Amino acid sequence: MKLEIEIAGRIRTVEHTPGEPNVTVDGVPVAVEAQVLRPGLLSLVVAGRAWRVVLEEDANEPAIHLGGERIPYRVDDPRSLKARRARTTGADGPKAIKASMPGRVVRVLAQKGEAVKAHHGVVVIEAMKMQNELKSPKEGRVAELRVAPGDTVAAGDVLAVIE
Amino acid sequence: MLTKTKPRPFRKILIANRGEIALRIARACRELGIPSVAVYSDADRAAPHVLGAAEAYRLGPSPATESYLRGDLLLEIASRAGADAIHPGYGFLSENAGFAEACGKSGVKFIGPPASAMRALGSKTRARQAADKAGMPRTPGSTTALASVKEALKVADDIGYPVMLKASAGGGGKGMRAITRSEDLKSAFEAAQSEAERAFGSNEVYLEKLIEHPRHIEIQVLADEHGHCLYLGERECSVQRRHQKVIEEAPSAVVGDDLRRRMGEAAVRLAQSAGYTNAGTVEFLLDSEENFYFLEMNTRLQVEHPVTELITGLDLVHLQIRIAQGEPLPLTQQDVHLRGHAVECRVYAEDPDNGFFPSPGKITRLLQPGGPGIREDSGIYEGWTVPMDYDPMLSKLIAFAPTRETAIARMLRALDEYVIGGIRTNLALFRRILGDADFQAARIDTGYLDRLLAQGPATGAENSLEDRESVAAIAAAIFESQRTTAPTTAPQSVSAWKRAAREEGLSR
Repeated sequence: MKLEIEIAGRIRTVEHTPGEPNVTVDGVPVAVEAQVLRPGLLSLVVAGRAWRVVLEEDANEPAIHLGGERIPYRVDDPRSLKARRARTTGADGPKAIKASMPGRVVRVLAQKGEAVKAHHGVVVIEAMKMQNELKSPKEGRVAELRVAPGDTVAAGDVLAVIE
Repeated sequence: MLTKTKPRPFRKILIANRGEIALRIARACRELGIPSVAVYSDADRAAPHVLGAAEAYRLGPSPATESYLRGDLLLEIASRAGADAIHPGYGFLSENAGFAEACGKSGVKFIGPPASAMRALGSKTRARQAADKAGMPRTPGSTTALASVKEALKVADDIGYPVMLKASAGGGGKGMRAITRSEDLKSAFEAAQSEAERAFGSNEVYLEKLIEHPRHIEIQVLADEHGHCLYLGERECSVQRRHQKVIEEAPSAVVGDDLRRRMGEAAVRLAQSAGYTNAGTVEFLLDSEENFYFLEMNTRLQVEHPVTELITGLDLVHLQIRIAQGEPLPLTQQDVHLRGHAVECRVYAEDPDNGFFPSPGKITRLLQPGGPGIREDSGIYEGWTVPMDYDPMLSKLIAFAPTRETAIARMLRALDEYVIGGIRTNLALFRRILGDADFQAARIDTGYLDRLLAQGPATGAENSLEDRESVAAIAAAIFESQRTTAPTTAPQSVSAWKRAAREEGLSR
């Protein structure tokens, strides 16, 4: 099976057959011994070095925890059309403003239909005594406003759409 | 004046707090054989401090103003549960003189200083007056609230720029402004006043001379109700972001025996002049010439108390309870010996890669460190949802070793073992600070962390990063193939992979 894994802005092609001790990374074979300890927890021995690997699944992006470091990644199955399309979408279409953290909506700064400039604040959410102003990613018009003050939102929720 | 009380063990202690500190206090109660009572808001029904309690009562809805800040409800629960003492922890009502007084009126002992001492030291301007009376050095500037911009300009001219405007009722950096030129004073004065009004309900501000590149050094004091007071060495808390402590250590790498004694004795003088009892902390700024200036007094147990516990071998919460029971201090200043070095990291649910935004939510994965010299005071468990209603502290990780160098190495090792998944945390920030050459050489002051963060993302160690990224890519591919080949497409491959993996493990 061949997968494209994007880590820190770089795409790595990883090929492996479940059960086989050899994995190729960008075409280079690497000796790998893997043991799944429990779901999401893996012991890997790569070229003699042992690693405890923890998978973190999240609404926004999955990540690997490795030796005290958290490494987010994106995965593309080269056969997947959806992933291809997602990557080639340009900057012209409607853009969603998503909650970067869970919280409560405290203020809405632009109403539906209102024209906004790029970096203009649209929604303010609050969590743990800190407020976070979410800004418009581009100049345009508020096409959709999906939240009102008092609403509770999860990370990744679409709050508004700018077109 | 001190009111002497006959020692009498508490029947039961109500813990008016949540999170790691509520657990910390409950553990001390259990060790002393005193039953304790937990309280919780709706958001905290499944919080660790409730799960670990023998007795627990609901306070109210999630907002702190309707739960943990409701002194009336706390006293009602204390009476219902038969608690004759309340430990306030830190934050919430811990420095609220009115609540301490209300406890006294209800016949419940407040485990902390008397309300009169809290009032004398609670406002920053009053504390500066108290410092003058106790003959301790403080930063030059005003000791009363500034009446007008005109007065502010005069004080600033007298002490010389740069100056600092601060809120009398302040804390957490709110209402604070640094000013380098007289032209800027008027607008800064007005902005500081309105910010102070909004944050603390009082627009009182005062001026003091800005100390350049100071270190934050604080002295832990303990006073009993029989007139004895001692100091337990210092903590250095210079690693701060926006005036919030991030890493604390004890002792400070730059405080020698003589300076420690002078700062300690000054702190004791201040505490005694205000009739202080129980645990407290006197904060100082230390300049590069080893001059120290009184900053403020915190009239409660501090977040960072464990580093002092580790280097003194004392349990501060045990001592707080024993003092509140009317016992005399079981040791004298000569019995206080400092040994080794301790470092503490405040683990927060916040995202250093995204403007330090808070990151509440469900903890899907938790692997905690252990081994020699590691202590963790934690308030979380795997599967718990960290509520969005309170401050983002998850846990305190503390490393202890004979030397500073080994304590740092231990902390780095423990950070490598620590995994918190599902929410963002600042664990990676600690790795960066502890690995930094300036931190390792103790070249730190209160502006150190801001300068480090301004350098942008850490570089160096490229090779090992490259290595890790390849391993991460392999691991991601293995996890993903398990996921994407699940039931519909190729049901066999998952179990085949698992079986093969198991066999490989067995054949080793």
